[in-house]
Amino acid sequence: MKRTPFTRGLSVFWWLMIAFLYLPLGVIVLYSFNSANSAAFFAGFSLRWYERLLGNDQLLTALGNTLALGVASSVIALVIGTLIGYGMYRHRGRKLGWLVALIYLPIVMPDIVFGISEMAFFITMDREFGILGPSLATMIIAHVTFQIPFVALIVYSRFVGLDPTLFEAAKDLYASPAQRARHFLLPTLKPSLIAAFFLAFTLSIDDFVISFFTAGPENATLPIYIWGAIRRGVSPEINAIATLMILTVAIAAVISLLFNKEGRRS
Amino acid sequence: MTFPPSAATAPQGAVRDASTITLSGLRKRFGGDAVALDGVDLTIRAGEFFTLLGPSGCGKTTLLRILAGLEAPDDGTLTIGGRDVTTTAPHLRSVNTVFQSYALFPHLSVRENIAFGLRMKGVPVDERRRRVDHIAEFIKLGALLDRGVNQLSGGQRQRVALARALVCEPDVLLLDEPLSALDAGLRTQLQVELQRTQKRLGMTFVFVTHDQDEAMVMSDRIAVLDNGVIQQVGAPHEVYERPVNAFVAKFMGHVNLFAIEQLDHTRVVTALGTLTMDKPLEENARAGMLLIRQEVIELGHAVSEGYNGLEGVVKERHYRGSRIEYRLEVNGVTLMATAGNLGQRLYAVGDTVTVSIHPEDVVGLDA
Repeated sequence: MKRTPFTRGLSVFWWLMIAFLYLPLGVIVLYSFNSANSAAFFAGFSLRWYERLLGNDQLLTALGNTLALGVASSVIALVIGTLIGYGMYRHRGRKLGWLVALIYLPIVMPDIVFGISEMAFFITMDREFGILGPSLATMIIAHVTFQIPFVALIVYSRFVGLDPTLFEAAKDLYASPAQRARHFLLPTLKPSLIAAFFLAFTLSIDDFVISFFTAGPENATLPIYIWGAIRRGVSPEINAIATLMILTVAIAAVISLLFNKEGRRS
Repeated sequence: MTFPPSAATAPQGAVRDASTITLSGLRKRFGGDAVALDGVDLTIRAGEFFTLLGPSGCGKTTLLRILAGLEAPDDGTLTIGGRDVTTTAPHLRSVNTVFQSYALFPHLSVRENIAFGLRMKGVPVDERRRRVDHIAEFIKLGALLDRGVNQLSGGQRQRVALARALVCEPDVLLLDEPLSALDAGLRTQLQVELQRTQKRLGMTFVFVTHDQDEAMVMSDRIAVLDNGVIQQVGAPHEVYERPVNAFVAKFMGHVNLFAIEQLDHTRVVTALGTLTMDKPLEENARAGMLLIRQEVIELGHAVSEGYNGLEGVVKERHYRGSRIEYRLEVNGVTLMATAGNLGQRLYAVGDTVTVSIHPEDVVGLDA
């Protein structure tokens, strides 16, 4: 195909876009291996900032919090979101459809509004009833609420892509409701469930705003720790943490994508 | 054969005693006003190949789904083998279905698909394996057992769906237009195979289709449905040659229908002319129309002895290879006639021909 000025312009635009997306990340990854304590020049390759991370107790606690929060919230969101996704499928096209639309609200709500309202709610509960004081538990609840719609959506789209007579075939072939769940629904959903779990996990690790408003003093996650550390100046150590986070999130996102694709293919 | 007796190994034509189906007063309504079934009474005999035939929306699929338990009737009762199963859940009925879309489980192999029903019923692994192997041989699926269902062609999927239902040895097998997605050649072949399978197993088959040719080829008896009401039940030749009303006649592909203007014992007057019937029409009190099948009309240069004679002009000729269709004008009315292509001279457009119709082929029916 002949390349016109227009198509050439498009490809320049594409590469510019990629550069804006990935150059800043690349710079952080590069400087995390910088042997000098500088963000201005690269003095040579070194793992010293990574070594220093291992000795940083505060940071390791934050990492532990992040993982605990991510896994716990993703598991809970997976269970609830799957049930909601199935419910949405079963009741699609009925008059209750608008109720289902309510679960999309957290997706479009600004994080800061969501975070502040969750915080206000938890504080009120704590003051009035002495429960739900800021802690890891409140963070998990907050994360679960914003993860649910994503899980529900993935599960729902998997069901919508299925031949509806499969549900009837399972009934017709003597499967009781429990057997249908175990031998038909779960195996059919498996790739989508894995995809949904890793998407939820990624969302949890990524989140700063909502965690920030719902965390107790002991429960700083990595993003919260970084936020605090950055106020004392950007150090190459932060670059190293950021690089590790980029890696983790990228892996989780790719797993999610692959399984979601597989789930919809069959 | 060393394994325990099963339907597949039972003697030819063996009729299992648990499979007579009776439907009485079945009614079903969807939403506000759409009537799917409007009082259906029917007995399907044990070991019969029974077809529910009708246009889309006639209620045939609803009836099948009620038999499977996937739909509950608003009113009426359903018994299978003498047991009232009107409200029995589908997984507790000894009924299996071959779905139009086949509905094979995408996460399971061919073998696992076929074994699904047995597994759900708690049949032990060894017996399961034996029965799946046996049915696979019976349906000629042996080489496909370890494939994924996504690797199969349409005809193979249809066979797997059939095997999956048959291996459970249900009292009744339901088939929901299982051949409609296949091309014509394969369809003809599978029609014969299905019919042969049914005869060998002696199982009651209830088949749904909108294709009257398919229904006639395969069935012992046919029920023609329209608007949720059974119009006629009978053997293929009864439904085809003696349709009870204009709907059935048209659905079976007949076009020569004429309103009866005057009736005097065996003599009837229609727009076509005056015709004699072999027996008086009074026997059929509701008769208001005459049917003359295309293929019973004899064309020639002289009226055959003992036949009704008319004179017509050939207006159109459609060449169909094995047969020729003529559109004739008789007394200003259109009459379609089909003649076998016997290698004789064909009539040309504009030819005047005599039309001979035997009194036995003048059929009265309800308007």
